[in-house]
Amino acid sequence: MARDVINQKINDAFLRKALKNFAAAYPVARAKAFEGIDFEELRGRIAAFKKEGLGQLPELVEEFRASAEQAGATVHLCTTPEDANRTILDIIRSKGADFLVKSKAMTSEEIELNHYLEKHDIRCLETDLGEWIIQLAGERPSHMVMPAIHKNREDVAELFSRETGKECPPDIPYLVQVARETLRSGFLTGQVGLSGANVAIADSGAIGIITNEGNGRLVTTLPQTHIALIGVEKIVPSLAEALDVIEILPKNATGQKITSYVSFIKGPTGGEGRELHIVLLDNGRLKLAADPDFSEALACVKCGACANVCPIYEIVGGHVFGHIYVGGIGLVLTPFFHGFDKAEEILKLCIGCRKCNEVCAAKIDIEGLIVDLRDKIKKPVGQKFLFGTLMKNRKLFHTALRAAYIAQKPFQGKGGRIRHLPLILNRETANRSLPPIAEKPFRDLILEQSESRVPSPQPREKVLFYSGCLADFVYPEMCQDTVESMEALGYEVSFPQKQTCCGIPARYSGEMEVARDMARINMEVLLEEEADFVVTICPTCTMSIKHDFPKLLAGEPAWREKAELLASKTFNFSELAARKAGTGDIRMGSGNGEMQTVTYHDACHLKRGCGVHEEPRKVLRELVGVEIAEMTDCDKCCGFGGSYAIKYPEISQEVLKNKMENIAATGAKTVAVDCPGCKLQVEEGLEAGGTGITVEHSASLLARRLKKG
Amino acid sequence: MVGQFATAAEAVGATVKRFTTLSEAITSLRELVSGRSVAASSLPDSVHSLIAPLHFASRNMLDQAEVGISFAQAGIAATGSVLLELSAPTERSATALPPVHVVLLRASTIVPNLAALRDTLQAALSANGGRYLSLITGPSRTADIERVLTIGVHGPKELYLLIIEGE
Repeated sequence: MARDVINQKINDAFLRKALKNFAAAYPVARAKAFEGIDFEELRGRIAAFKKEGLGQLPELVEEFRASAEQAGATVHLCTTPEDANRTILDIIRSKGADFLVKSKAMTSEEIELNHYLEKHDIRCLETDLGEWIIQLAGERPSHMVMPAIHKNREDVAELFSRETGKECPPDIPYLVQVARETLRSGFLTGQVGLSGANVAIADSGAIGIITNEGNGRLVTTLPQTHIALIGVEKIVPSLAEALDVIEILPKNATGQKITSYVSFIKGPTGGEGRELHIVLLDNGRLKLAADPDFSEALACVKCGACANVCPIYEIVGGHVFGHIYVGGIGLVLTPFFHGFDKAEEILKLCIGCRKCNEVCAAKIDIEGLIVDLRDKIKKPVGQKFLFGTLMKNRKLFHTALRAAYIAQKPFQGKGGRIRHLPLILNRETANRSLPPIAEKPFRDLILEQSESRVPSPQPREKVLFYSGCLADFVYPEMCQDTVESMEALGYEVSFPQKQTCCGIPARYSGEMEVARDMARINMEVLLEEEADFVVTICPTCTMSIKHDFPKLLAGEPAWREKAELLASKTFNFSELAARKAGTGDIRMGSGNGEMQTVTYHDACHLKRGCGVHEEPRKVLRELVGVEIAEMTDCDKCCGFGGSYAIKYPEISQEVLKNKMENIAATGAKTVAVDCPGCKLQVEEGLEAGGTGITVEHSASLLARRLKKG
Repeated sequence: MVGQFATAAEAVGATVKRFTTLSEAITSLRELVSGRSVAASSLPDSVHSLIAPLHFASRNMLDQAEVGISFAQAGIAATGSVLLELSAPTERSATALPPVHVVLLRASTIVPNLAALRDTLQAALSANGGRYLSLITGPSRTADIERVLTIGVHGPKELYLLIIEGE
């Protein structure tokens, strides 16, 4: 993605404020809309019937076609955008019309219908207020549900003044009234009306349309001919499934319990001269529905919730974070609807926080699909060497990291932190302060200490410690604290020296083969030694071991079995620590026991990658003995995202700023985290802000509490 | 359930009035209309005869009507929605074009939630020929400019729900 476009969005004060306010208001409205409804159950049902429906999509299309035609509609199945555009043009021309009045349809944006029709001398009028604004501005929607969220009242007043020839003040009720009056004649004179549909019902041939403004009802009522342009994936078997979609969509989209209008239209109504044409759009959907790896993407109900909660969307908006379809699912659908060339850049913009997965109405693993798609795009030059040669060879990789310790020395500033990163000498990183590579990684430290470590007096549960590279080479003391706390909690800990990178950086960069090799190497190392558990202090590593290893090696039965065994005994530090709370196994020390207050930042991959969020709090309250002052958006990404912070430092820094504000508001002097990446990022932000607030891994806080007096 | 319906409908900007009898509701309706021109979707005969004296806009000038009148098939308590079957375009115009829409609703037809309306919807959609059903919840609204909620874009700016609880 072009840096100047990203920076332009970052510096667009109105856009930033609009998106930030929305990001704050949306979760509140959404929670209220879902009161009394079991969201997980509802979306579970949607995911299940969507999956089944996509498995038999050609049959559903035929069933819908037969029912709709039985009801008097004419159904056109169009394979390509060109087919759909031409079909619609032919219908309009057959009516002797030269004017199309439209309500909102993302499918129309998808095939760029207006552009096509206008080339053929058919005037198009968008009547959804947001779409009309966008049409007048000659832009594309920046949100699926709120297309003009990036426009302020002054922009709109200027557009309306130009269109109506009358001076329009930047007053929202006034502007809405202008739209009402100006567009009314469009409804009354439109010869042909075009709508989309939110759902199409196979057994009755009816379609369902959800709107708020009332333009949808006018477009489908006043003109003699109604054309509905519908993606084939919108077809559901029966009314029961349609009602589930209608139940969830407005709640997830805008936090409304239901929209002002829900219309069910079956066949043409109004007698002689009335026609209903249903244009079913394929455009790659039937092929995608049969794709075992990516068909899940078509379960999308187009609510836009993935954009609503996305920390990156909040910074850059939909003109950067998407193509025609925006938000997380937009990244996934773009390659299939518009081609991989359109998707290459945007697929890299996801930071991997999985916030979208948490709210998706169809329970789609959006983040997982984005990562899998990166395997299919062009890789940057040099990446093959980095991952293919360097990372696969543990000794070479670790030697390179040790060499970095020497190389970084001249760049270290006060407190040992690196002020100017030697490797990435660009503008955005110039002001960053990063912790240095440690003189001795933990893997060396533990070798020196092995003699002095106390052998266990009685048999204890044995734990293999998988530290992750960042903790090993940058935060060896964090690893040391982990070992000490685990031992004090009654575990026997050992550190397998041959462990290496979990493969996540390779996987996130689309190097799936390398990720598979890393998985095999680590599995051998971690299963070689008999142990009850494997403990990690990096949730990204945990997620990789527990979820990615089995997925990556799903096609190799022998390896898959090993992967599942390893997954079943791998846990985050906080999980293994929390299970000891209230037991007699703990060797309490006389360490730093004074009560204090901390605030807790949930790492994305711990909360949403591993489903762990209560255990860390239990560890802090019951074992460390501190109070937790919860921060707003405690589980929202800090902006690190591994290499993301280096690839898109400008975005990463903006995401971090939000986190800094939320931390400061708690008044806590310590931020507890369970992820070395979050520590690195948050610590940098706090230090740069001169706040005096420190960031500690829970393992370090616990080690201090349990330290022998 | 009527109370829940009223609360939900008012929360989205509808005005709810509760009556015991149909004739009380019609009296209120006449006051609401207060001489303005009306358009109506198909109404039960009993209702139609009661509102016959009102000034009806001509059928091909429905965009001139000032108040639309309709009779709901059902209501949804959870959302304050009403279900209207409006399979003739003129009936829809009567509820979509005028700036004011008044809906009569029998309390006995209110169901708890959308799912509970399934059989009613299914029966309508299974019938032969074209069908157009509308669930209406509050007045027409938009938040497309700066996410500021604004009432009355293309549809009615005012929605009155007159509930008949007796009979």
